[in-house]
Amino acid sequence: MKPVILLARRASLLPVVLASVALFTLMIMTFADVLLRSALNAPIEQATELTRIFMVIIVFGVMPVMTARGDHISVDLTDGIFYRLRLNNVRDGLVYIVCGVMMFWPVQRVWVLAERWRSYGDVTEYLAFPQFYVGWFIAAFTALTAIVMLVIGLLHLFAPRFLERTQ
Amino acid sequence: ADHTLVISSWAPPTHNINAKMWPKFVEMIEEATDGQVTAELKLGLAPPPAQMDLIMDGAADVSIIFHGYQAGRFVTTKLIELPGFPGNAEAASVAYWRAFDAHLSNANEHRGVKVVALHTHGPAQLHTADPMENLDDIAGLKLRIPGGVGGDVGSALGATGIQVPAPKVYETLASKAADGVVMPVDSRKGFKLTEVAPHLYEMPGGFYRGSFAFIMNEDAFAGLPEDLRTVLDEEVFGEPLSREIGKIWDAGDLESLEVTKETEGNTITIASEADQEKFAGIAADVIETVLNEIEATGVDAEAAYEMVMSEMSSY
Amino acid sequence: MTVALIGFALVLILVLLRMPIVFAMGLVGTLGYAYERGGSIFDTRGLNASLSMVGRQITDTAQDYGLSVVPLFILMGLFVNKGGMARELYAVSNAFLGHFRGGIAMATVAACGGFSAICGSSLATAATMSKVAMPQMRRYGYSDELSTASIAAGGTLGILIPPSVILVIYGLLTETSIGKLFMAGIIPGAMGILFYLFAVRWTVFRNPDSGPAGERSSWMERLVALRSVWAVLLLFFLVIGGLYGVLDVHPLNLTFSPTEAAGMGAMGAFLIALSRGGLTLASTFEVLKETAFTASALFAVLIGAQIFSNFVNLAGLPEALIGLVTAYDVPNFVVILMILGIYIVLGCVFESLSMLLLTVPIFFPLITQLGYDPIWFGIVVVVVTEISLITPPVGLNVFILKGVVGDVSTGTIFRGVTPFWVVDIIRLALIVTIPWLVLVLPDQMGALGH
Ligand code: NA
Ligand code: NA
Repeated sequence: MKPVILLARRASLLPVVLASVALFTLMIMTFADVLLRSALNAPIEQATELTRIFMVIIVFGVMPVMTARGDHISVDLTDGIFYRLRLNNVRDGLVYIVCGVMMFWPVQRVWVLAERWRSYGDVTEYLAFPQFYVGWFIAAFTALTAIVMLVIGLLHLFAPRFLERTQ
Repeated sequence: ADHTLVISSWAPPTHNINAKMWPKFVEMIEEATDGQVTAELKLGLAPPPAQMDLIMDGAADVSIIFHGYQAGRFVTTKLIELPGFPGNAEAASVAYWRAFDAHLSNANEHRGVKVVALHTHGPAQLHTADPMENLDDIAGLKLRIPGGVGGDVGSALGATGIQVPAPKVYETLASKAADGVVMPVDSRKGFKLTEVAPHLYEMPGGFYRGSFAFIMNEDAFAGLPEDLRTVLDEEVFGEPLSREIGKIWDAGDLESLEVTKETEGNTITIASEADQEKFAGIAADVIETVLNEIEATGVDAEAAYEMVMSEMSSY
Repeated sequence: MTVALIGFALVLILVLLRMPIVFAMGLVGTLGYAYERGGSIFDTRGLNASLSMVGRQITDTAQDYGLSVVPLFILMGLFVNKGGMARELYAVSNAFLGHFRGGIAMATVAACGGFSAICGSSLATAATMSKVAMPQMRRYGYSDELSTASIAAGGTLGILIPPSVILVIYGLLTETSIGKLFMAGIIPGAMGILFYLFAVRWTVFRNPDSGPAGERSSWMERLVALRSVWAVLLLFFLVIGGLYGVLDVHPLNLTFSPTEAAGMGAMGAFLIALSRGGLTLASTFEVLKETAFTASALFAVLIGAQIFSNFVNLAGLPEALIGLVTAYDVPNFVVILMILGIYIVLGCVFESLSMLLLTVPIFFPLITQLGYDPIWFGIVVVVVTEISLITPPVGLNVFILKGVVGDVSTGTIFRGVTPFWVVDIIRLALIVTIPWLVLVLPDQMGALGH
């Protein structure tokens, strides 16, 4: 189990670095766009499109890791009761598995939409960047997020000690 | 009513699309079917580019799309966006439907949905913060122009394009992120351009027109009884609806023109004869490029262009 | 309407079972939408329709250009942290206020207010200020109640004084101008600072031992402290000034959209932190990474909220509520009072963002239908949200403080914070009865001319 977790951590670094680079570039680009527009009257025409693409990379690129860290916004009002009854792992396991399973449908649908965009030849306005790549990226990382949820759910149920270490 | 269609729409609630066009649509289908079919309006279900997917899968039954929001998907719809056609939105919308029926529909770009109306707003004109005297003044300006033909014309005139959705135009102009906007006259009132872009520079025939379609879910239509389908197809969908929507765009243009004349500090400059000629030359290149693009989809572009031109000239 | 209410109840149950909010709202929204379109949650066509809507929400929300302000403002806040600007703000307010009785707590409130002006999040404000202000108050023998409460309450100002991530989200959910919302937050935010200062005075008046006076700083020391806050002022001026066209003077001509203001602010904060040696490659990566995680969680929850809101919209709940109000001829102020009551009750148990996401789709159409100003309602919602951050049993800022400080019980903090939310309620009452307080600045903005 340990080497698997280690490997997963190593692999998870790549999309996180990618998202960080996208964010940093977004910041620099917005800054440059404003200055170029104000000083040289020459805004970056592709800025809007690039902003959208960067946001997809930022938001979905880190989503599997964010999910693994347990960063999803949730309400812990009833935690006390569940801990007292020692049902917290069962509850979290079931919730995570249900969420992971139900994500199958949106993942599949985003994939279908992306294929549809491909068949219609949808592209972005200035860069003519094919929209279906964006769809594929979102589908792939949402699928990864679903897998992460399933794994965490199973760990909660059958091997909660591994979770304590990753936190 | 026995059948209630769900309309998905996206402009602000007060925009003519929602305040007048959809009510007109409902009125027409109710009248044609003796009240057996009606529709209810839902706003904000999804952003504009999502509407076609929503209709295709039945998340709503009817919607409005702006073809320019989906670059790459629609090519033949650029025909009606070309500058230089004579006449108002009503004439253009009717001619548009006829050209679609005869030629453009061959490209099958709306596959997956039923097209129930095609229309365009009135000729788009230039609205700026500073007064415009000549066509040459446009070069170097930062202008909000939508994609498609508008964008092509803008770059041919040497303007820099700024991409913002229509509801953000006011903020963009107020914050001077753009020097002006090319939009139909109709939007002077709706988007309060009279405050942030007091100067209207008018090019007869417009810099471009915007192409819209009303689309319907195929199953929702097939699910109606045959007699209702027939009456809707004959009395509402297609040319009749397109014409009525064109009229609403025109009425909006007139209303905005009145508001502009009444607003202090607003000016209207009509392009000089010389500038009109100059623009026609610039537009000719854009027209040729676009017609070639349309030709490449297998549609007889030249014939379609001639058809719109003659229909509109004689409207 | 019944369907929507059942859906709402289901979301509550799932959320209390600790299902992440995005999944609770997403699941109920998906099934509800399918039910509305197909007549049953098992209807294939209904599910197909619903999933198409869900798929587009997932792909479109992340590509919403307007939402790019969210990661950029978060980024700015985190860089500001690394630049040590919280410490400087605190030093200045302490130099001016520290010698009063309760003065160090008052300085904390003022520094929180200042920090809020460059940070878009209440939690970040509370977390940052607690590291800076807590040791100082301990050194001077302040009671745990007062010291923790002043930070927890002061932190709530982060989402009212612009920039504010919550206001951005409200603006996007309701299609109201973010620039005007920011402008509208300024006076209520300033009132918040003043009222909290009063709450500190009240606490030390009741119990003089809770906040002894600190040392008086000389004018020389004050001037030196003042000199160091230029960076904070510069950033605030850059972001807010750019947004309102204050910097639109030749040859600068700097005017920003909200996204651009956020980008400029983030870049400015980055450069300041860099110039102060507060950034290495590793810590820059850390900041970017944390921003991405926070943004990802926020976007996820927004997607869920929009799916649920589409279901509620399709089910006709807003129309039904409006119908109820008209049918029973309920006076407008009663409607407002009821909505505020619901917010305050929900605010006791809900976290700020979830509360906003759950309620705005339901109440907003009603409020605008009754003729209330959407900008004003946005500020009212944010003020009740601020209150929710410090009311028991679930007050997020209180928990943050407990997390950072460690050896203080949440009970103690909640006790200390009571006078603060009492003045908050008074402030809320003022804003509700005198909308002018909120609207005067944004109205001015329209008249700026351009
Ligand atoms: Na703030
Ligand atoms: Na609370």
